[in-house]
Amino acid sequence: MNTEELKQAIKNYIIQEFLPGENPDNVTDDLPLISSGILDSIATLKLVLFIEERFGITLEAHETDKENMDTLAQMVATIEAKQK
Amino acid sequence: MLASTIPSPPNSLDKPGTIRVFDFALVGIQLVLLLLLLRQFQIESAAFLRLAALAFGGFAIHAWLPLRYRLPFFLLLSFAGIGVVMGFENGAWMIGIGLLLIGICHIPVSFTLRGALLLLVGALLAAQRAKLLPFPWSEAIWPILGSMFMFRLIVYFYDLRHEKVPGTPVQALAYFFMLPNACFPLFPVVDYKAFRRSHFDDDAYRVYQVGIDWMVRGVIHLILYRVIYYYFTMAPSEVNTPADLLNYLVSNFLLYLRVSGLFHLIIGMLYLFGFRLSETHNRYLLATSFTDFWRRINIYWKDFMQKVFYYPVVFKLKKLGATKALVIATLYVFVMTWFLHAYQWFWLRGTLLFVPQDILFWAILGVLVVLNSLYEIKHGRSRSIAAKKRTLRDVLLSIVKTYGTFWFICVLWSFWTAETLGDWFSLWGALHGDFSWQVLAWPAVVLLVVAVGSIPKETLRNIKVSAQEESEWIRSRIVTVVALIGLILISIEGVATRISPNIATIVHSLRSGQLSRLDQAKLEKGYYENLLSVDRFNSQLWEVYTKKPANWLDVDNANLKRFNGGFAQTELIPSFVSRTKYGDITINRWGMRDRDYALEPAAGVFRAAVLGASSVMGWGVGDGETFEALVEERLNTERPVVGIDHYEFLNFGVPGYQPLQQLVAFEKAMQFRPNAVIYVATGRELSRAAVYLAEAVRKRIDIPYEELRQIVQRSGITPEMEEAEALKRLTPYRKEMLNFVYGSIAARARASGTLSILLFLPQVTDGSWREETADTLAIAAGAGFVIIDLDDLYKGRDINQLRLAEWDDHPNTQGHRLVAEHLYKGLLERREQVFKTDRIHHAQ
Repeated sequence: MNTEELKQAIKNYIIQEFLPGENPDNVTDDLPLISSGILDSIATLKLVLFIEERFGITLEAHETDKENMDTLAQMVATIEAKQK
Repeated sequence: MLASTIPSPPNSLDKPGTIRVFDFALVGIQLVLLLLLLRQFQIESAAFLRLAALAFGGFAIHAWLPLRYRLPFFLLLSFAGIGVVMGFENGAWMIGIGLLLIGICHIPVSFTLRGALLLLVGALLAAQRAKLLPFPWSEAIWPILGSMFMFRLIVYFYDLRHEKVPGTPVQALAYFFMLPNACFPLFPVVDYKAFRRSHFDDDAYRVYQVGIDWMVRGVIHLILYRVIYYYFTMAPSEVNTPADLLNYLVSNFLLYLRVSGLFHLIIGMLYLFGFRLSETHNRYLLATSFTDFWRRINIYWKDFMQKVFYYPVVFKLKKLGATKALVIATLYVFVMTWFLHAYQWFWLRGTLLFVPQDILFWAILGVLVVLNSLYEIKHGRSRSIAAKKRTLRDVLLSIVKTYGTFWFICVLWSFWTAETLGDWFSLWGALHGDFSWQVLAWPAVVLLVVAVGSIPKETLRNIKVSAQEESEWIRSRIVTVVALIGLILISIEGVATRISPNIATIVHSLRSGQLSRLDQAKLEKGYYENLLSVDRFNSQLWEVYTKKPANWLDVDNANLKRFNGGFAQTELIPSFVSRTKYGDITINRWGMRDRDYALEPAAGVFRAAVLGASSVMGWGVGDGETFEALVEERLNTERPVVGIDHYEFLNFGVPGYQPLQQLVAFEKAMQFRPNAVIYVATGRELSRAAVYLAEAVRKRIDIPYEELRQIVQRSGITPEMEEAEALKRLTPYRKEMLNFVYGSIAARARASGTLSILLFLPQVTDGSWREETADTLAIAAGAGFVIIDLDDLYKGRDINQLRLAEWDDHPNTQGHRLVAEHLYKGLLERREQVFKTDRIHHAQ
């Protein structure tokens, strides 16, 4: 799966689960998701479980912070680093 | 509005930290206004004003330094702030201890060993904090040292363990010693990564502006807090009707405005140095559920708990399934919140906190948040990027949810903050009281606030300020400048008076951080009962207490008094002598803090017996420096009345004596055949009478007065009853009690040919304490006392020059001299009544 596909898969999941009815164009690569309050602790946990299952990686507790998971771009970078 | 559609910011983001001269001037002007506002309203303390001046002045240099020098400069400024607030020696100790703790985190041994070392040093410091071990620094540094390290060290150590790119020493030092902390024991738990990451990550001018917005918002919170604190707070014993109950519940919760105000001030100040941190509170009065409340109030705490406790547990347990892991982790977070609250209490106040309300509060809130979370997992939570169009039904539903949550939180909060469970349960008896239209007041105000707050607006929080919509940005500028100028204008006496004298009076009271009437009463109670365990949420009173030196003169510990088994319980120990730092305290053979007198007055002597409490006894002044001794001396020097050869003023003042105990003191005084009895009242006579009767019943002390026994019977108070309930029941009888005390004294004095005088002595404080004065004076006049009212004595004078200390509102030597001067004048103005020579002959 290339970077774009990976990003699209996460984006789709976020829209479907947490932002139903939202215009996909509004979910940009650098939209802050945790610091803006879109992803709370429950949503973050759900997203982590999805990422782990879908991309076959294991995320650590300290990796679910605003440095690694706040934006789509950060999430993709974190997943790709894990996959290497 | 989406970040991608936002117009370019006015300053270039290519050169982080840069600002145009014009923008800098705008910021500078606002900071000058803000400093003026802080001064006008005496926000927090004089130390904070100095710190703010240092910070704003430092900002002017910092903003023009090359970016690489800014963090070191901020660190230097932070050290200077510690010095300004704590002084050189204490500041050096604080920095030294801090360096030791930070240094341990970096010793090149395993993390486990470093953690063990930190625990060991922490245990040593804890033993010192608990005074089990001696320490060479002032006690005053503990709360600040605690607030700097108790949580930040946990965050720092956690990040150190997991970070890929370690921070620099300057970043670490700036994080721990960050500038505003020197003034604030209550400090938000700033995240170390956020502190580093956010430094000049956005347009500098806009970051500075947001900092000013937040500081102004913080000042508004603090002024609103004072409105609530001074005008609305009630003691549980005063809650008699449903309207009182609602007022108690709301005002009690709104006292939290102090914390939100301080946190806004603190984070706003950090913005001036480029730290674009996230908001600390998000309209917490408008939470729509318990989970929402937890997310909105003290967000930094929630983030800290999430990072250090919640996620590690959730990730460990996720094999059990998301729901189970979430439930366990959430409950764990609330257990840890309770524990860390007690841990924080220990470092700030030096005592252990273990009260059932605390445990129950966190347990109840934890269970509610778990239930709410389970609901959200099942049904989802409404989220959107831009403001959604909402139907009327949506808005109404939101109002109902917010309104319900607000009142539920108010009830829960009242439970948490109650001094005892008995106090809390006694509140609900008010539901049997009279319903009046006032019962609708708070529900209507809250509904209005909730309705206005439910108007849909931008839902994205904490986005970069450079990405903010232009119209929103301009609106924020206008709000801030209008608030700044408006508040400064209204704080000017001439302006407020022109609006209305009532407004001027209220604004005047809001312009100083005094104690409320309830806390003032507690402070007074503290003198007498060595009450150092201020209740848990009384932050202002606690701050006053923290300034009190450990070796401050204490009547109980100085062994001035002894128990005598009678109705008054205690008396001064005859022939006791003590040398204090304020001079000698000598008790004569009769148990008076005075020179020796014969039981019988000699011929030609005018003798007055002065009854009162610590102000009369002369707390904090030496022998011969009390106002009664000074008046006596002056009368004997000037001998202003023909026919009187000598004057004797006998001091029957006993620290802690309340009006009912004065009946006992009066009986003793009459044995000395005085020509006049001067009863010294200092305020709150009515409530003090009730407090003492409740105490006497609770301690099962024999009450030798039939009238008081009847009051006990009619009010139905019992020894087993909680104090709040007993005081509530005694409230209708307070005037009757004081009538009895004053009436008995005046009648008995009259029968013996003794003149009774009531000297009203104001308290040496700005706080509110006059609410019972008018009734007191009316009762005394009705009983036949000659009144000498010195209520205006301290008006227009600097009370700091006249009282012992901020934490001790007794007059100092200068204060006693002033009282003596006015009492002397007052006595001579009434010379025909007071110094009747036929009484002198009668006394022979």
